[in-house]
Amino acid sequence: MRSRTFAPRPWAVAHATGMWTRALLLAVGVLLIPRPGTAQQTGPAASGSDADKQTIQMLLQRIERLEARVTQLEGSKTEGARLETASAPAPFATRAAAGPAAGPPEGPQMPSAPPQTQSSEPEQEAANLEPERMDMSKTLLRIRGFGDIDFHGTDQQGSTNSFSLGQLNLFVTSDISEKFKFLSEIVFEAGPDNFYNVPGGNRNQFSVDVERYLLQYSYNDYFNLAFGRYHTAIGFYNTAYHHSTWFQTTTGRPLLFQFEDSGGILPIHNVGVSASGRIPSGGLGLHYVAEIGNGRQSRSPLTEEPVQNEVDENNYKAFNLALFARPESIRGLQFGFSGYHDKLMPMGQPRVDETILAAHVVYMVPKFEWLNELVLVRHAPQGSSQVFNTPGFYSQIAKRFGSYQPYFRYQYINGSDREPIFPDVGRIEGPSVGVRYDASESVAFKAQYDYNIARHLASYNALTLQLGFTF
Amino acid sequence: MVRRNRILALLVAVLLLQARPYGAAGAKPATTPGGENLAIIVNQSNPIDDLSLKELRTVFLGERSHWPNGRRITLVMMDQGLVERNAILRDVCHMSETEFGRHFLQGLFTGEVFVSPKTLSTSIGVRKFVFNVPGAIGYVRASDVDETVKVIRINGHRVDDPEYPLRLEARATK
Repeated sequence: MRSRTFAPRPWAVAHATGMWTRALLLAVGVLLIPRPGTAQQTGPAASGSDADKQTIQMLLQRIERLEARVTQLEGSKTEGARLETASAPAPFATRAAAGPAAGPPEGPQMPSAPPQTQSSEPEQEAANLEPERMDMSKTLLRIRGFGDIDFHGTDQQGSTNSFSLGQLNLFVTSDISEKFKFLSEIVFEAGPDNFYNVPGGNRNQFSVDVERYLLQYSYNDYFNLAFGRYHTAIGFYNTAYHHSTWFQTTTGRPLLFQFEDSGGILPIHNVGVSASGRIPSGGLGLHYVAEIGNGRQSRSPLTEEPVQNEVDENNYKAFNLALFARPESIRGLQFGFSGYHDKLMPMGQPRVDETILAAHVVYMVPKFEWLNELVLVRHAPQGSSQVFNTPGFYSQIAKRFGSYQPYFRYQYINGSDREPIFPDVGRIEGPSVGVRYDASESVAFKAQYDYNIARHLASYNALTLQLGFTF
Repeated sequence: MVRRNRILALLVAVLLLQARPYGAAGAKPATTPGGENLAIIVNQSNPIDDLSLKELRTVFLGERSHWPNGRRITLVMMDQGLVERNAILRDVCHMSETEFGRHFLQGLFTGEVFVSPKTLSTSIGVRKFVFNVPGAIGYVRASDVDETVKVIRINGHRVDDPEYPLRLEARATK
């Protein structure tokens, strides 16, 4: 009965000479059918002869499609290999004889069965010629959140022990295309934001700041551009931790890297263009950052927004150049320096040239960290021979023992009382000691004690308890 | 009748072959005396043939964002807890799961890592993803490799070499 079913195969007669080749392709075809069992399931139900004929017809069609596909891929492989090997530079070992390579579709696609999802050759060529497309059917936004809740108190006169809400930071990114990405930090924070040290400011009111707002373009490992509002690449800390306390080992930034609206002396934020990337340097792992932007508002009067988001106070643009190395031989080590220059226009005073030099040596591995940074802020009023240098540094060391990470930090800033831009800073220094406990992968509890010594002020003690988290 | 039997025999033979696929480069892979190896796979169009373990680490930690041909690197990781992922974290990244997660989160936060890894749960999914995405790099057991993807050498060693450095199970310390 079954042999009769197979006996009158018209394809076997017609292609007798190539039977084994066809049989092999048939076998492959059977394997590539997504649900091979379906054909068998119909057999018992329908008449055997009809089912076999249908199956054979289906397989023949399948084989023809696969043969056409193989021919097509062989043609596109040669073309793809020629195009890609032409532009392949150094570091990774590449195929010596430019072997066959399939012409790839542009950009990531959803995973699917290999033979069915490769686009045809004309489609691939069209995709390659059309470098950047936005897929409107995808949800592009990704949001990650960071926050902290604190309790702090000092023995300073006039201060009260308080619970306080730290910054609620929404880190929003979007892969716009293969080369472009959007990145932002939207921060909700309580306190007199944007107004430095204003008496009577409403400290309990929440406000919103867009702290970072960047369109990034990534050409390759050696050249990336970012447009918008960024954290200036002065030193290490500013671009390592941004607005998340959860990432930081301690409860807060060093005084040197305090935000502008919290009394910081550095232009932490800038609006402009930043270029960055690796520098071919072998195992030294050199990187560069070059930035040009509006710079910081002159901090005088202190009640104005220090970051010049829309209007620069002068036509001169601030620029910053940073170089740093990450040697391959000592993973976790980074050292480098940066130079920043701007012209400030303080109200009622001559123009001031601002130069900021910074150097850092940092060693960070998962179980140990040692951060050291030194900054010199130099202000030179025009028409005067006087130059005001404000040096500052901090050193922080921490070691992890399981979920616990005790740490120590010493910090120092020394500004002149006659400093034209920040006469209120003076000298402040002191040690901090604390412990971080990671209660889970996303929640950390920190306890930190600070002893602060300030010129013209009585020294004071401070205690901060912090629950930092990411979500 | 004879023809039919031959065809059936052929089908069975092909099925048996399909059950033990060989490496893309025709390599006879997979198991060395120390246990099964982990193959690093890339898209067939990728010109890379060989990576050192150090280079592989920079790729798997997101410190490299582009291949030499300009394609953006898309890293494919398998789900947490799978033995293949554990092997990569142990032998390539030298990190725990928590450290790896934090490393990428911080890299994305600073902007140094351009794209986060894609996470898939099966070797079939990884293969399909790597097949479809020109800049993708992932890993599967050597026995799970097929011709849709390209297996790269590590430190000059093919996946079936005894000196190949990536294995599913940790090497015994001397």
